[in-house]
Parts: sequence; structure tokens; C-alpha cells
Amino acid sequence: MRRREFVSRTCAGLVALSPVGSLRFGSSAPWLLVPMDDTQTDHLKAYGLTYRALKRGVKAEWFLNYRSGAFLLPSDAGTVRDAALAGVLAEPLDDGQLVQIRGGLQGGNMDAVPLEKPPKVAVYAPPNAPPWDDAVTMALNYAGIEFEKVWDPEVLGQKLKTYDWLHLHHEDFTGQYSKFFLNYAGSAWLVDMVERNRAMARSLGFPSVPAEKGAVAGAIANFVDKGGFLFAMCTATETLDLALAANGVDIAASYADGDPMDPNATARMRWDRAFAFQNAQLELSPTTPVYSDIDGHQVNSPDRRQPLGSYTLFNFSAKIDPVATMLVQNHRQVIPDFYGLTTSFSRKTLKPSVTVLAEEPGAPWVKYIHGEHGQGTWTFFGGHDPEDPQHQIGDAPTDLSLHPHSPGYRLILNNVLFPAAKKKELKT
Amino acid sequence: MALPARFLCWIVLLLLPTPGWSQQPGMTRAFDLERRGDYAGAAQAYRAVLSGKPADLSALLGLERVLLPLNRSADILPAARAALAAAPSSSGIYGIALRAWAAADQPDSVRSIAERWARVAPTEETPYREWGASELARQNRSAARAAYLRGRERLGRPDAMAAEMAQLSLAEAEYPTALREWLLAVRRLPGYRTTAISTLAQAPVPAHPELLRLLSRETDLTARRIEADLRARWGDPLGGFRVLTAAMPADRVQAIAVLRGFLDQLRTMRSQGARRTEGMVLEAIAARSPEAQASRVRLEAAQAYTAAGDRAAARRMLGRLADDRATPASIASDAATTLIGVLIAEGKLDDAAQRLAELRPTLSADDYDAIRRRIAFGWMKQGNLARADSAIKTDSSIEGLALSGRIHLYQGDIRGAVDRFKEAGPYAGDRGEATHRTMLLALLLPLEKDSLADLGGALLKLEQGDTVQATAELERVAAELPASQGGAELYLLAGRLSAGSGKPVEAERLLRAAAVKEAPSTAPAAELALAELLISGRRGAEAVEILEHLILTYSRSALVPQARRKLDEARGAVPKT
Repeated sequence: MRRREFVSRTCAGLVALSPVGSLRFGSSAPWLLVPMDDTQTDHLKAYGLTYRALKRGVKAEWFLNYRSGAFLLPSDAGTVRDAALAGVLAEPLDDGQLVQIRGGLQGGNMDAVPLEKPPKVAVYAPPNAPPWDDAVTMALNYAGIEFEKVWDPEVLGQKLKTYDWLHLHHEDFTGQYSKFFLNYAGSAWLVDMVERNRAMARSLGFPSVPAEKGAVAGAIANFVDKGGFLFAMCTATETLDLALAANGVDIAASYADGDPMDPNATARMRWDRAFAFQNAQLELSPTTPVYSDIDGHQVNSPDRRQPLGSYTLFNFSAKIDPVATMLVQNHRQVIPDFYGLTTSFSRKTLKPSVTVLAEEPGAPWVKYIHGEHGQGTWTFFGGHDPEDPQHQIGDAPTDLSLHPHSPGYRLILNNVLFPAAKKKELKT
Repeated sequence: MALPARFLCWIVLLLLPTPGWSQQPGMTRAFDLERRGDYAGAAQAYRAVLSGKPADLSALLGLERVLLPLNRSADILPAARAALAAAPSSSGIYGIALRAWAAADQPDSVRSIAERWARVAPTEETPYREWGASELARQNRSAARAAYLRGRERLGRPDAMAAEMAQLSLAEAEYPTALREWLLAVRRLPGYRTTAISTLAQAPVPAHPELLRLLSRETDLTARRIEADLRARWGDPLGGFRVLTAAMPADRVQAIAVLRGFLDQLRTMRSQGARRTEGMVLEAIAARSPEAQASRVRLEAAQAYTAAGDRAAARRMLGRLADDRATPASIASDAATTLIGVLIAEGKLDDAAQRLAELRPTLSADDYDAIRRRIAFGWMKQGNLARADSAIKTDSSIEGLALSGRIHLYQGDIRGAVDRFKEAGPYAGDRGEATHRTMLLALLLPLEKDSLADLGGALLKLEQGDTVQATAELERVAAELPASQGGAELYLLAGRLSAGSGKPVEAERLLRAAAVKEAPSTAPAAELALAELLISGRRGAEAVEILEHLILTYSRSALVPQARRKLDEARGAVPKT
């Protein structure tokens, strides 16, 4: 599904859903309400339950701002069984109760968004396993949402157009190996990463890794421009925009492309090509694992590092701005912050068109942003792992079965289901 | 390296009876502001003091302190310049100035200040140490090394800043160089030995032979001690002890100090080899100690040997202690108690009982009962159930009841065992014993028979470590019982034992026999165990089927959350644990 379709389709009134299947597990109610407030037993798997229901061809609804973003599913045998296996609370609902809920939705800052089609998800990741975890891959695996991995050959080979949704995590699109090259010199994982990337650049006919990653960034921008949905976390957010804005300016250290960074790179950046940021100052030191002043927290710069606080989700009008509302559905409004190589986004570097979804009140940075690019949309979420605030290289991956109610991970999964939504006509 | 030196400098200066800064109102105000966390205000106040007395070291250090949390360390430069002009021979001011230029990221100025400082203090290492530290803060290790080497050259001392050079070499994985530097550092200042060992011990395994070869070329005690400690850290404590023994100084006091140092290393380790070597070291210390102390040390040695399973050595130590009239009474009693433990572990229960009888007048009633239970446990394990039972007949403690329950169980007296276990309650023994008792109760409660000699025999076999025979007998008993009346529970236990013995085919057959709908309280546990077995055999798809059945069929079972977790694991939804 492309954004053009998504925006242009209208849906007057709510879609009447038809319950599928006749088997019941001890309930004759035709509907299941999956609450997403504190009564839910596994928030993260609830997204997977909904996704799999869509995958089976049934239709669902997302009740924005109702019980923290509840889902309505038909009470067919497959869904009941799936909920029981996943340990997701699903309350049986009869038609009378549903009419009552719909009445309530009309009255408040709530709305029902039909979910039609399971999005086809791609995760950009190298074939080997880097020594850090990937929050979205973990969230998708835990929730039971299918995805495919893609890397540079697929991205440059036009395969992206077969997907609705692309996720980027801890990737360095400036081609500088997360700027760990000097500080982790000799580490087996870094040696492997460098070799693999150099071989890939060579095989694709690029003179250096930065040149090849720049082309990959361009292909990703093209995917969004043509209606794709992009979600990025951690350093993928910042480096993607830096790679796009560089546009031929050498922003890579000599270890990456053989010659030092252009000392006037900051002044020569073309920010009109970037998704979210503008007028950032680039970090010139090749030894400091920091790219620019886009990141507000500067975790790897001892003299500039800022402490972690909490971020607050904004409230949007569900009926007027359903997209932003979908992205912030949560059972918590204030969420503890977490570091990443890019933790947050300085307000001073945001383009005016950017929609801020979450911020740390009073701080000069924001956490979670969204915007449009051509016919598609992008969402950037700062930080590495919402349940491991100071994830270090080599740390064990987070076990999400210990965090089934994670509000930070919910934000990631909101992005997965958001492309499944059929958007209603904006009211004027 | 620079940071502790800097803090030390501040602490020393704060403690020194400086010419009464506390009496100066400006300094008092600045210090108060700093203490309250008003760093900007404190910086202003320190600057005010410095405007009148530019070389006031306390004010300058205060300014340096408060600028750090403000992220404005380089702002101290003008004050540092003024202080240097006012007091061009003050080492303290040079240190601040050097750090100021380092904060301003001006390495040339850092170098120039360090050189000037070295001219003022030509015999001190500090200028070069601070210079090197500032280069390290910039991640420039080669410049740091150059600074240290320059210091060495100027001071004319090849061991100057050896500890810093060692750390630098370690950061660059140059382990042989690090070792050479640590040897220099420890010879000069023995207090570095602990740091040297802890850092060198982290060298990768392939580097070990080269480091040991380098150490073997050295002839002094310092090298031998480092070699011994490293050998111990790298899994060869006995080799370390041999190296140390060969180099032991003749002086008794010095030798004990060396052995005690090695003992400290051993006590951080958990292996049996380390415990045995600990016993040997303690024995060596005892041999060099005055007799009054030697008894205590020999007892410690015996305990270490016992922990290592070297009963012969333990008995050698203890026999001498227990029989020696010169041994103080308290130590003799402890030694005799330990000796009884050794005899029990060796299966010499009659000897242990005899020792206990001799020792009885010196023991408290509780201690006596505890040892008697251990002897009874030994008889029980040997299958001498009647003697075990009679030994604790008068013991009415909860531990005694728990043991009596096990003896009755092995005699086939199911009812008697259940009654005693219930009477003992959940607090007898340690947590492991309590869990084991609960497991036995769960096994026995569904049985509708008062006695079952075959089951007692099977469980006794299990207690004696004969798992194969125990499993076979359990299966035989299970086959004679209805699933709902204990049969399923016995199959489950037999299945778990087979799985634990690495017999997956047999385990699967037994667990499937336990996972029957006629025994709904046993089936979830059996299905979970079966799923775990299948996952370990890389039969994830079959495990998923079993787990789904468990969750959907026994949805109210307490094992459902665990089953969901396993389901996630089988599907690869969570990392493997």
C-alpha cells in the first residue's frame, strides 16, 4: 500500500466488519476487544495478534485513544486461539456493547481506524550479527510479525518497492562504521564489519564504503518519495540525513574513504535533500563517535554527554490527525529515556515541517518525530533499546518476555501497524 | 591515571593548613557556593579571589573544579596564564595550566607547559605523567607514550612511569611490554603488584606461554610472585605454588608474607584445584608459624582440603590436631568436628560415630544432634535404614523429622513419610532440601497406598546415585498404578531422570506416558518437560505443537506462563537463555 492510496482513500463512517469463522472457545460474542490499557496482559504481542488476524484476511479496527489504543477483532476461532497462545487479553464483546463503544468514540477525542491489510515489512540489516541488539527486529520477533531482511544489494537493486514498510536501526549511512573504527580497532566484529562493507562496495562498483552507503541512502529516500513508509531508530536517523545532505561532500574520515573529511563540510551540506534536519554542525574528529550536533545527548563525547531524563508523548486530535495519533498510542504518557549513538534530536536542527511526537519538556531536544517526504512518510525515534537505557557493545540482547508492557517498544510497533490503516478523509 | 592524581592533589590541598583561606571571606563564599552546587556563582567568586591573588592555588583549584561541571574547563586559561606569570616556579600551578591547555585542545601548549614545568622540577615525574594523561584523554596513545619516554630520558631513570607505560601497553594489547613495565613498577613500588596481576591476568590465552617464558628468565622474588599469581589466575594454582615454593625466602616472616599474598589470590577462585592449593599454602604457613598459631592454620588447611575433596590430606591435618594435647580446646573441638565430617564423607560411619561419642561432652546438644543426623544420613545412603532410623529416634527437631521422613520413604512406608514431611514443614534444612521435600510430597500425595516397598527401593537407588536402576524401577512401579493415582507422576520423574541422563528416546517415551488426560494435574508438567526435551533435540516444530496443546488444554495451569516463554523460545521470538 502506498501513501497516495493511503491518503486518497476515503472511508465515510466506519467499516462494518464481518466476523469470520464459527468456532468459539467458550464465548458466543461476535467480537473481541483487545484493550491496550493497564489491564492488557501482553501489550507487545497484542500488535502481533492484530497483525496475524489481518494476515488471515479478516479486518480489524484500531480504536485510537480508547483504552490506550484498543483493537477490535472478529471473534473467530483462529483469533481466539491465537490470543490464548500469546497470552493476550481479549475481551468478548457483543453487538450492543460495540454500539455503546462507538457512541463513546464519537463524543471524545477518539476515533476508529479500520485496519485492512498487513504491511509487508523489510528490515535493513547486514547478513552477520553485529554485537548489539536491534530493537525493532526484537519487537517484531517477539510480537510474531513477519519481516524480511534486506541489505545493500536489495536496496540498490530496487527490491524496496515490493515492501510497504522499511526499518532502519543502528546503521551508519556515512560509511564510517559507527565511528568505532579507531576506538575498537582490532575487535573481531569490527574487522568483519569493515571487510564485509568494503567487499560489498567493491562488488557493487563503488570506490568506497561512504560512496556506496550514500547511494543506499538515496535509494531509501527514493522509496519514501514514492510512497513508502520509513521508520528509523538510533544512529540510522542522523546518518541517513547526513548522507543525503552530503550529496558529494566528503563527510567521512580517512579510514573510511582514504582521504580526510572536507574541513568545510558543514557549510557545504545540502539540507534540502534531508528528511528531518537542517543546519547541523558536523563533528570533525575522526576519533569521537559523534556525527554532528543533531543528537542532543552526545553519549560518546564525555565532555558533552547529557544525562537521561524522560520524554512525554504529545496528544493529537484523533479525528483530525489520525496518523500522529496512531504513532503515539500508549498506556504511558511519560516514558524513561534511553541512550543510543543518536539518542535525541536537537530542536535547533529540526526542519519546520517536522511533527514532534515526543519531547523532553524544557530540554533542547526531542525524542520522536515524524514527517512527510514526497508521497511517503518517515518516523524517527532516537535511542537504541527502550528497555536497556545504556546498551553497550557486546551486551546480551533484551529479552522482551520480561518487558511485555514496554511503552517504548509499543511506539515501535505503532509504526508497524500504522501502514495497515485505511486513512479517513480529513475533516475541514 | 591523571584523574586520581588530580583528586589526590585537591584532597591534599584541602587538608593542608593553607594560609587560612577559610579565614578569607572570598574563599569561604566561593566554597559555600560550590558546596551548594551553584558552580557559576562559585566560578565568579573564585575569579574575584584570583583577581587580587593570581597565584592563590586554592582558588585556582576551586575554579578548575567548578568549571568542569559547567563544561567550560578551558575558560580557566586566562587565570592559569596570570598565575604562571605571578608564580613561575609553582608545581601546583603548572599542573592546572597543563590541564587547562589540554581542555582547550591545544597539544602544543600542553607540551610546552610540561617542558617548562620539568625545568622547574627536574627530578619529578609529575610533569610527564600529566602530559601523558592529557594526551590519553585525547585518545592519542602514541603521544602519551612519547611524553612518558621523554620523561624517562630526562630523569635518567628507566623505571620512571613504568606503571603508566604498562597500562598503555595493555591498551594496545602489547602484553610482553606490559609485563616488563609492570616488573619495573612493582620492583620500585611493591604496592603495584595487585594492579599488575589483575591487568596482566586479562591477557588472552595465546599470550600466556610467552609471558610465562619472559617471567621464567627473571631471577628475583618479585618475578616469581607475579608468575605464581598469574599461573593461579590462569587455572594452574598448583603450578603457581610450586614456583613460589622454589623461590621461598629463608626469612620466616618474609616467607609467610609471600605465602599470605598468594593465598589472597587463591581465595578469589572457586575451583577444587584452588582449594587444594589453598590447603597446601596454609600447611606451608603453619610449618613456619609459632605453635600457638599453627593449630588454627592447620585447621583452616584441613577445611580447605576437605572442600577440595582431598580427605587424606584433611585427615592428616586433623588427626594431628585432635590428638595433640597442646592444641587449644576450642581448636581441638573444631578439628574433631571437621574430622567426623571427613570420616562421614569417606563412608567410615562407625569411626565417625565413635569419634562423636568421645566428643559428646564438649559439644552443645544442637551440634551433637546435627552431627548425629549426618551420620544417620550416611547410614541411610548406604541402605542401612534400620540403623539410620534408630540413630535419630530421639531427635524431635524439624530437621530430624525431615530425615526420618526420607528413611521411612525408602523403607516403603508412604504414609509415615508423608506424615513426617508434613510435620517437618517448609523450614527444615536449606532451600534445596525444602524444595526436594516438596517434590517428594507431590510425588507421594496422589498415591492411594500406605506402603509401596518397590517405590521406596527405587527412590533409595536414586539417593545412592544409581539413576539407571532407579529409572527402570520407577517405570515398573508406575506401570502398576493408575495414571491418576500416582502413575503419571512416577512416569514424569522417570522421564526427567532419563532426560537428565542423556537418554532422549527413553525420556520421550516416559514423558508421553505421563502426559495423559487422566492425570490433569501432572500432564502440564509432563508436556512442558517433553517440549523442553524436543527443543533440546532441535525438534522445535513438535515442541510448538505440544506447548500449544498445553496452553490451550490446561489454560488454568500455573505452568502456562512458563509454557508461553518456551513457545517464544521455540519460535525464536526471544533470545535463548
